[in-house]
Amino acid sequence: MVLRLNLQKFIANAMLALAFTGPVFAETFDFTLPESRFYAQEAKSFLIAANDVETSKVATNIAPSSQEEFKPKLFSGSKLHQYLGVSTAVLAGAAFITHPHPTDPNAPRETNGTHAQLAKATVVAAVATIVAGVLSHWDDFSLEDGWTDPDNLHVILGVTGAALMAYAVDKSANSSTAVEHAREAELGALGMIVAIKLTW
Amino acid sequence: MKSKFQFIMLFALVVISIETVAAQSLLEAIITPFRQKEIVPVDNKQYQDECGSCHFAYPPGLLPTKSWEKLLTTEALPNHFGDNAELDADTLKVIHDYAIANAADKSYYKRSRKIAIATEKVDAPLRITEVRYIKRKHHELSEKMVKGNKDVKSLSYCDACHTQASKGVFDADTVKIPNYPDWED
Repeated sequence: MVLRLNLQKFIANAMLALAFTGPVFAETFDFTLPESRFYAQEAKSFLIAANDVETSKVATNIAPSSQEEFKPKLFSGSKLHQYLGVSTAVLAGAAFITHPHPTDPNAPRETNGTHAQLAKATVVAAVATIVAGVLSHWDDFSLEDGWTDPDNLHVILGVTGAALMAYAVDKSANSSTAVEHAREAELGALGMIVAIKLTW
Repeated sequence: MKSKFQFIMLFALVVISIETVAAQSLLEAIITPFRQKEIVPVDNKQYQDECGSCHFAYPPGLLPTKSWEKLLTTEALPNHFGDNAELDADTLKVIHDYAIANAADKSYYKRSRKIAIATEKVDAPLRITEVRYIKRKHHELSEKMVKGNKDVKSLSYCDACHTQASKGVFDADTVKIPNYPDWED
């Protein structure tokens, strides 16, 4: 029975990992067409098509695209926010899977077990994600765009999700008896996952 | 435990089974694991060749339908920002239909959604640089970095700084401003 449960956990973890790595692989596909053979940045019409007509009249030497020279940054605030967000979702999934099922309701509470540790780590990662997001994406959200704006929704759902998970952890950790907290935690995790997807 | 395991299996199955499906609806846009943060890149050869023969072939997701409706007409193209960009009727139809089908308000890609929202309650912008969201994203750039920069000249040359613009990627991490190697967003 134990072996079967462990196997189930392993498969579930593998499925979660697969689901999260899917987008990474998806990024490697190149759906774009090759550059047009007729692309001519120096053409007069190109210069005139520029929004700034005054500039376009004097612009005679437009730099070629620097795409070949570009080397993506290995680390940035945006990437940190992204990694922390995905880590939070993975930790939340792990906490969900390791939720204990005591057969005896009067059994002593395990407040420092795997589930508890993972839940606390999830909240820490969620807070770190929010801090990194505010610092690196401060100009992506604006109240004038309304709450349907993807970045504004991302912030609302992300912060609410983190707050719900923190509340769930606090509720359980500060109770001497077993207390129902799964609903808040799962709702919070779902909020964060949807928040990630909206801007993924 | 069993119900949780079944839930995870079902969730993973749904995610994996739609990996090859492009987002056609809001639900699919939420579920698909494909990244939809940016703009749909130009994937129409005729659009790419015709528009790209004179300037960067702007992905249609950078403007809403109402803007493309104004720009891509037989009346508007003879004076396309001061130049004659007339097209024969068949070519214009292909380009017009492609632009309309992939306009910002028809896309679930994040930046297109933001552009659609920013242009929802205003007159159709004819220039991408008139879009409130685009303006906000570039407001920190000084004049000398754009107009005064001999390798940029104008914000309309997207691909002068956005190194992955042809792939529809406009992320700050892919920006490289010519003559300003140390610039950070």
